[in-house]
Amino acid sequence: MIGSGSQDIGFGKRSHYLVAVVSVFFFLLGARLFHLQVIEGAEYQRKAENNFIHRVVLSPVRGLIKDRNGRVLVHNRPSYNVYIIPRFFTESAFDNLKRHLGLDDEQINYIDNKIIKAQGEKRFFSLLAVRDIGRDELAKLETNMHQMPGVRVVSETRRVYPHGPLAAHVLGYLNEVSGSEIERLKGYRPGDKIGRYGVERRWEFYLRGIPGMESFVVNASGQRKDENVQNKLLGPLSKRREDARPGYHLVLTIDADVQKSAERALRWHDSGAAVVLEAKTGRVLAMASKPSFDPNVLSGRLSQEQARALYDNPYNPMLDKVLQGSYFPGSTYKVIPAIAALEERLVDTSEELFCKKYHEYGKRSAFRCTKMHGPMDLYRAIVQSCNIYFYHMAERVGMDRMARYARDFGLGTPSGLGLNSEQGGFIPTKAWYNKNMPGGFRIGHTLNSGVGQGNVTVTPLQLAVLFSTIANGGKLYLPQIVERIESTDGEVVQEFPPQIRRRVQVSQKTLRLIREALSGVVNHPLGTAHEARVNDIEVAGKTGTAQVRKIGKARRGGKEWRRFMDHAWFAAYAPVGDPEIVVVVLVEHGGSAAKVAAPEAIKIIRHYFKQIKPRRQQKGDSI
Amino acid sequence: MQTLFRRLRVELDWTLLLILMSIIGIGLINLYSASRGLREGMFFQQVYWVILGFSVFLVVATIDYRLYNQYGYIIYVLGILTLILVVLIGRTVKGSTRWLGYGPFQIQPSEIMKVVAIIALAKYLHNEPTPEGRNLKQMVIPFGIVALPIALILLQPDLGTGMLILLIFFSLMLITKLKIRSLITLLSTGFVIVPLVWSFMLRDYQKRRILVFLDPSSDPSGAGWHSRQSIYAIGSGRLFGKGYMQGTQHQFKFLPEHWTDFPYSVWAEEWGFLGALILLGLYLFLIIWSIRLGAKARDRFGALICFGVGAMFFWHVIINVGMVTGLVPVVGVTLPLFSYGGSSILTFMMGAGLLMSVGSRRYWGS
Repeated sequence: MIGSGSQDIGFGKRSHYLVAVVSVFFFLLGARLFHLQVIEGAEYQRKAENNFIHRVVLSPVRGLIKDRNGRVLVHNRPSYNVYIIPRFFTESAFDNLKRHLGLDDEQINYIDNKIIKAQGEKRFFSLLAVRDIGRDELAKLETNMHQMPGVRVVSETRRVYPHGPLAAHVLGYLNEVSGSEIERLKGYRPGDKIGRYGVERRWEFYLRGIPGMESFVVNASGQRKDENVQNKLLGPLSKRREDARPGYHLVLTIDADVQKSAERALRWHDSGAAVVLEAKTGRVLAMASKPSFDPNVLSGRLSQEQARALYDNPYNPMLDKVLQGSYFPGSTYKVIPAIAALEERLVDTSEELFCKKYHEYGKRSAFRCTKMHGPMDLYRAIVQSCNIYFYHMAERVGMDRMARYARDFGLGTPSGLGLNSEQGGFIPTKAWYNKNMPGGFRIGHTLNSGVGQGNVTVTPLQLAVLFSTIANGGKLYLPQIVERIESTDGEVVQEFPPQIRRRVQVSQKTLRLIREALSGVVNHPLGTAHEARVNDIEVAGKTGTAQVRKIGKARRGGKEWRRFMDHAWFAAYAPVGDPEIVVVVLVEHGGSAAKVAAPEAIKIIRHYFKQIKPRRQQKGDSI
Repeated sequence: MQTLFRRLRVELDWTLLLILMSIIGIGLINLYSASRGLREGMFFQQVYWVILGFSVFLVVATIDYRLYNQYGYIIYVLGILTLILVVLIGRTVKGSTRWLGYGPFQIQPSEIMKVVAIIALAKYLHNEPTPEGRNLKQMVIPFGIVALPIALILLQPDLGTGMLILLIFFSLMLITKLKIRSLITLLSTGFVIVPLVWSFMLRDYQKRRILVFLDPSSDPSGAGWHSRQSIYAIGSGRLFGKGYMQGTQHQFKFLPEHWTDFPYSVWAEEWGFLGALILLGLYLFLIIWSIRLGAKARDRFGALICFGVGAMFFWHVIINVGMVTGLVPVVGVTLPLFSYGGSSILTFMMGAGLLMSVGSRRYWGS
């Protein structure tokens, strides 16, 4: 009987169960497919696209930094950097790379460490392995690229500071962005550079520009597919490429020539600062801090040797002394008690006080003068820098009133330039002494403050702002370092006109009396800076010799002696009749202000009026 | 002449033939896309294997299957001898000694052993029926029949094939009735044996694959890479697929071994859920059809042959599709008549030939 065999062997019923079991298994597979392809399909489509779409960030070209005359202080040049993708980077590729580039142990360790750190997904990311290779090495790599899977050479720009250490503290430098910064800031990726110091840091946002992006189709070994495939899968170039927007150019108020002469002023000294301001605008013409550094070196990867040279230097090259150095102002501060006494009508210009070389205060005679000046009025006391006279003035004005005038002139708080974590110096008050000194406030503190010692500290920039306020008739300007921001086509994006913070609460008469005395400091035969006087330009100013520490007899002439020598100050402006520029020079441990600081300051002034300014005017006329 | 046509029309299993042709046809279409940009001639080589496979199919189908019953143990002994030969003089590729052959004609006897084992098992079970259920003692000999080739295959080593023969064995045991007590004992010994196999028999790469299967994110670029990329390929195909020859996962080489172990991913990526389901439906139909042939076979041997071949197709499809969809760890199990490779094609065509031989003789009276 046809078909009856199945009954005989008894599989008929069982086969129905089998079909059911098989169907259940297939149903499960179908359900899995439905889950992957229909429910999660969009997500897997994205993941598959991420596989073959390789997004390359197009770095923007960083903006230039120019001086006020358009001279380029910072620019970019093309450079070739070698990147590796650890996932594809084989041992033999590494060996070939070592051979072609002649890597040293330090560089090899650097690369090894980076590869070890790249785990999981990160093994597919490009890592910067060698920076700025030469043309010959580039040629070698390019001809041998097939031996080095996972190696890419990328043309990028490198920051160049063509004048080396010139204005280093103003310009600052860049280096690689850190992991925590990438998390905190938007739009930075590993290997990107970020401004670390100076203008480069403060104006990072404007200088940097906006990165662009280009997408490529790549295969599993990271090779790019041809243009047809690109167009098919990602659309035309305009759709898959977004150009980077270059950074804005920065035009500084700095004049490179003035900057050079300010740095030359410090040439013979180990450590010091010089700042030049425009008296009528508050703009910074030059800011020099010594010792300096070369931003070209700091913007690369420092070798251990270079790092040691920088950080072991006892004079601290990484400190911007103009903005971050807090110093006793010494006698330059005497203008404050003088102004306060005049304003408060506690002294008359004709009143004479007698200097017998020491001040009677209790039984001690710790408050001395440099010599016995004899009878002193205000003019003579400033000209000859008589301490005794200002001890009296300080006593009459009192600690807190003196502090109020000092603050009015911008001392005690940062001047607002906004670079390099500017310091504010310190102006003490009675309350401060009562709180912080064992035994509280004593009259001796007032006396010390009157001559810019004790606990009074200022930065060189603050002192320059003080003197420019005296010079310009009481306008306290916000010091500025950036004049304007320009786009790459030279269009002005933003301008920074001079900005007056306030007018000081001091009468013109008082300021005029002070200016007369400051002129006498240089031009009167008995003036403390008379020996630095030049004939062809009339300068006014005030010397200051700030005691760093009392030099004991035993130390004098010893090895450490220089480190304990006084700081020499000279704060000046010129021309006397219609002040245009203010110059402050500080020579750390320089000793005599008149012999060391004043001549250098006056050299800067003279150079400005005799060489730089006439040249500029000539140029200006010819345009 | 008339009788020949009549016999062809009635006795030849046209349905089976149609399903086989459909799967093979789709497989070739898919391979053409999958092999683009790879080794030249891969596609045509497969065409040759398919032609050879059909010849084998015809030969196997033409011979009366009762002859296989008669010579079952001789076939088995020949198969074992071939496996010993592989161990002795086989060709080694990627650490496994699996191949035997001359020149371009290389086959893996372990693959064909699956069919041989089915014949031997069917012969034994045909002769020793146990209507009231098989106890453990009665399982010793049939287990011995498969244990010997499995041991030889694990020597190569080829875990996937060994495991498949074991699965076919258990399938046939279940179909021919097993005592509940035996089943429980077997399952519990399994729990003892698995850790032993893990520690002594698995190679490091196999262990790694299993570990990664359990936690795919542990090493995305290593062993989990295959499985993940396969899932991306299938998932990104979505409902309608990316279109023929448009699959990015295999074209850009993110999908490894996509012509042997992962052709289903290529298919599902390019043809979407619908295409994937159609192919899956063909396999389901083929397996149900073989169960039906088994149920209708004239004798026990014929029925067991059909169930055995059906089980072989079933486990291959479930494991391969499970593997490419991330349900099963990645083991080298091919997709029947779809994967590239001569041994695989020949084995399944032989199996199909057996189905045909049993099926077309079910009407013959005694």
